[in-house]
Amino acid sequence: MTTTIVSEPLPATRPRRGVVWWSPFCCLGLVLLVGVFAPLLANDVPLLARVDGKWSMPAVADLFGEAPAGPHDGTWKQWWSRLGAGNEDFGIMPPWPYGPTAIDAARFGQKPCLAHPLGNDDTGRDVLARLVHGAGTVVWLGLPAVLLAALVGAALGAWAGLAGGLVDGIVLRLIELSLCFPMLLFLLFAAAFFGTSPFGMVAVLALMFWTSFARIVRGEMLSLRERDYVLVARGLGLGPWRIFARHLLPQVRTHVLMTAAFCMAAAIVAESTLSYLGVGGGGGAVASWGAMLRQGSERAVVGSWHLWLFPALAVMVVVVACHLVADRLRPRVDA
Amino acid sequence: MRRWLLLRLLWCVLTLFGITFVTFVVMDLAPVDRAEREVTQATQDGTLPDTLLREAAVLRLRVRYGMVDPETKLPRPLWQRYAAWLSNAAVLQLAGPDADNAAFWRRLGEAAPVTLLLGGLSLLCVFGLGVGIGCWLGVAAGSKRDRVASGVLLTLVGMPEFLLATLLPLVFGSLWLHWLPTSGLRSPGANEWSFAWQLVDFARHLVLPVLVMAIGPTVMVARFVRDSVARAAAAPFVTNLHALGIEPEVVRWRLLRHGLAPVATLAGNLLPMLVGGSIVVENLFSLDGLGHLAFDAVMQQDQAIVMALVLVTSIVTLLSLLVSDLLHRVVDPRVRLQP
Repeated sequence: MTTTIVSEPLPATRPRRGVVWWSPFCCLGLVLLVGVFAPLLANDVPLLARVDGKWSMPAVADLFGEAPAGPHDGTWKQWWSRLGAGNEDFGIMPPWPYGPTAIDAARFGQKPCLAHPLGNDDTGRDVLARLVHGAGTVVWLGLPAVLLAALVGAALGAWAGLAGGLVDGIVLRLIELSLCFPMLLFLLFAAAFFGTSPFGMVAVLALMFWTSFARIVRGEMLSLRERDYVLVARGLGLGPWRIFARHLLPQVRTHVLMTAAFCMAAAIVAESTLSYLGVGGGGGAVASWGAMLRQGSERAVVGSWHLWLFPALAVMVVVVACHLVADRLRPRVDA
Repeated sequence: MRRWLLLRLLWCVLTLFGITFVTFVVMDLAPVDRAEREVTQATQDGTLPDTLLREAAVLRLRVRYGMVDPETKLPRPLWQRYAAWLSNAAVLQLAGPDADNAAFWRRLGEAAPVTLLLGGLSLLCVFGLGVGIGCWLGVAAGSKRDRVASGVLLTLVGMPEFLLATLLPLVFGSLWLHWLPTSGLRSPGANEWSFAWQLVDFARHLVLPVLVMAIGPTVMVARFVRDSVARAAAAPFVTNLHALGIEPEVVRWRLLRHGLAPVATLAGNLLPMLVGGSIVVENLFSLDGLGHLAFDAVMQQDQAIVMALVLVTSIVTLLSLLVSDLLHRVVDPRVRLQP
């Protein structure tokens, strides 16, 4: 037997920087964009409309709040289908002209077809439109929670690592304390009683995640502050804030991003788990992947495979993309 | 060592106070209090026909749940209620008045064995399979086997519990294969069967819940162990041992011990994960365990039961963290114990 097994430093299992390397980043970016602009992408109100000589943008209004009611005592969809030649009125519909809550009574639980490639659910709502709007939870719940946790966690971690002594002790104790909290119960509580506004859940998620950021940043700061170049910078008379901002902070950027990717995955899983259990309003989103999946799994026995398959794929793809992003950033962290 | 343990235990007690207090405050944050919600429910159900009695009913419930002072009928401040809870908890009167308390302990007695069984079996699976797979991949880091299996593990990481809890029952249970039951712990009418068949039936009911609960943590442990063992394999001392002409098998055993040291720390974090998992799994497979009890209690704003469960789980979590620190010290003598 030869002894070639164990000489590589760390396995080169990751692909080179090409399309494959960047694909999870692109996937995540795309999901975030879709989540932000969902009302412009899949909606049953026009992007741009001219009714009786007046221009308006109902879908944009939907993006910032509530879409205005349709013209002539009907819905926008009815108005749009009546548009024809010789009419002064004019409208551009979004690329996917179905809303997440629009009910199509003729298509209860229909299987996928050309007009609706992902089918309709039991109340006739278009599954694709609901999936697109479900991406909103990633943006409006996951992103604020992760950002808040990163900000608080990195700041406290850096302070603890650089100041040492009493501050370090207190922050470490705080981390330990947060780890012991029954976060899932708090999350359940926040979702059940503050479900329609995302603030409660964002707060609990941030409380869950800040420890990861604090621990990794603190660990890095402990080793960074002893490096020669930092000593040189200090010797040159640079102020502590300048050293921190110019010489220490850039060094932990990748660590923070990697942790953020992990936390994002955890946030998505947490939200969809809760909406799967039927708790809360999905952080205020119109549609939630977890709730869709629950509905789908209940209908699976009667053969509606499209109702559980597509939301399940959506959750899986986004979560795996988050983990891959973290994995791609890791070699730089380990080095 | 003794000083460390003493400081550590003291800190555990302080943490317990912190956790229970914060949970108490959080439970108080709900926009509508429990008494009012229950009365509204009763009015809707028609069990409380007279709306004139509403105020009295709310007041009575509030007295019962300790929200107002029984004599002056004034709301009691938070700190007073927390102090009352503490003094009751000290004598294990965790769920309000005597009758409620007895009922709570009875329910806990029925629920705890289910969760302990599920958790215990999952832990076995997690450590047996997770550590095994991790070592198997770690000693061959970079090989084809490692690359393929790591890819599979990464995909499984993306499988949240509730997704598995949807897919596995569909495949093995109600939709395609019809091999395994998907809810409860016993088949209807199992009481008349012979003991051996009852046992088989019970085991069949356990397979899917344990699988769903164990897969996530198993994958996490396997990935962690793989990285840790791979890193140990790349350490200079391994090259040195090879250069000395030590048998590769012997080197591999050495390196496993080295790579497995951090697993002890992981054990402490697993418990909260399993507690969280039990809430999801017990709900989906309709098992009457602690997770189900906790879910119902939060939904009904039953502060007493939530507090009791939080107390129990945080004691167990703190103890397991303590044990995992001690284990880490045993496996890796370089680790110093700091308070």
